Amino acid sequence: MTNVEPDLDTVPETVGAPGAPHEIHVELGDRTNHRAPSAEPDGVIELRDLEVFYDKFRAVSGVNLVFGSKEITALIGPSGCGKSTVLRCLNRMNDLVPGAHVMGDVRFHGVDMYDASVDVIEVRRRIGMVFQKPNPFPKSIYDNVAYGPRVTGMKPKNMDDVVEQALHGAALWDEVKDKLKQSAYGLSGGQQQRLCIARTIATSPEVILMDEPCSALDPIATAKIEDLMVDLAKTYTIIIVTHNMQQAARVSYRTAFFTAAADEHGQRTGRLVEFDSTSKIFGNPSDKRTEAYITGRFG
Amino acid sequence: MRDIYHEHLDEILVEVERMTHVVSTAVRRSTNALLTADLGTAEEVIAADAQLDVAGETVEGKIFELMALQAPVAIELRMLVAALRMVADLERMGDLAAHIAKITRLRYPAAAIPDELQGVIEDMGRVAQRMVDQAGDVIKTKDVSAAQRIEATDDQMDKLRRSQFRQMMDASWPHGVEVAVDLALLGRYYERIADHAVSMAQRIIFLVTGEMPAAQ
Repeated sequence: MTNVEPDLDTVPETVGAPGAPHEIHVELGDRTNHRAPSAEPDGVIELRDLEVFYDKFRAVSGVNLVFGSKEITALIGPSGCGKSTVLRCLNRMNDLVPGAHVMGDVRFHGVDMYDASVDVIEVRRRIGMVFQKPNPFPKSIYDNVAYGPRVTGMKPKNMDDVVEQALHGAALWDEVKDKLKQSAYGLSGGQQQRLCIARTIATSPEVILMDEPCSALDPIATAKIEDLMVDLAKTYTIIIVTHNMQQAARVSYRTAFFTAAADEHGQRTGRLVEFDSTSKIFGNPSDKRTEAYITGRFG
Repeated sequence: MRDIYHEHLDEILVEVERMTHVVSTAVRRSTNALLTADLGTAEEVIAADAQLDVAGETVEGKIFELMALQAPVAIELRMLVAALRMVADLERMGDLAAHIAKITRLRYPAAAIPDELQGVIEDMGRVAQRMVDQAGDVIKTKDVSAAQRIEATDDQMDKLRRSQFRQMMDASWPHGVEVAVDLALLGRYYERIADHAVSMAQRIIFLVTGEMPAAQ
């Protein structure tokens, strides 16, 4: 009779398996978002206690956000939550809206972007913008791309090279290289939007703001722009406002969710609810309001 | 339209829970058939396994369709992924119950288990069935504490398995090789049913918390 306590760990997984069970080593990959280059964004642009007013109407309040360089950050939320308002603050486009004024800090490389000494034209050269509807100028393809460098006073040695590089950067060169002098209006919607991206990057910005850049495009043109965004993020910081949550999930490294809440006077003001890696926001968001919105159970 | 989608999502877990009832019945009936050498019941358990597989494929099809058409995210995505894994667990548990029934068929008309060894098999069957039932309750309640308690029940199964091994490894084992092989296989089947129940509980914890419990 034996009194040895049997050790179940030594029993082969399959009865009758010859010999001892093999030891299996599995290398587990990093389980964080593979697209996020760093745990915390480095703060190329920082918002501190941002408030935006249109006259007396407070459109956005209490926004604190830190953007990472060479990342794609998506701003999502329902209509009226202030995400486009926040985006327009990032290169002072709100200056063009009558009655708009900004409180709090908007810092670019630590510099207060709304300081009186800051040159607004230089801000918009370094932080470009692509809009919802493709808006090429009534000019040739070439002149559309060359427009930015010319008006911002850039004096490149060879404008042809600048145009070609920008069109390559926007993945449009092969499609237009033989018709550079033709009107930009002859291009398809998707090509026009990529032309607008080429026009933006021709001024060598650091940051590209995109306000629903694919909402007027079909799925194929959208896919090209999304591929382009991921490619551009190797060189530029991209901040995108989108209503297409799958687009935010596909392309962005981090996502900020905004919503609008009524104050004691019944005035609805946009607020930042949650900012985290995109995989966290779409996999397991911390805030119930985020989850309700992205799963369509909002309201 | 979104409401219909959410109704379909809710139905998925109801159907997975319904599958736990089928598996629980299969475990109970296959154990009874084994202990009483009841060939008729054993054959019914074996035949019912095919129906469980069909039910599993149907639920999988619905999960696939919701994933393809609705692009689920957050808790809805976790729920569908958890359900997909639980359906696989339940199909496998059904197979294991059928394996138990096949041992009854193999040894019929003799009883596969000698009288003095029936106690431990009866206990294993009872613990396995309880764990399947607990998994079904956890699917319904989404109670994380109850899900964690299933692992404690699994410890009872491990103890029974050790006890069974002690009996078989005793130098005075009087029942021969055939019974020892049957008993080792049966112990393995019950233990695996318990493991699948633990796996299901972990999927529910993942569904609720978004965090997968550490592997044991």
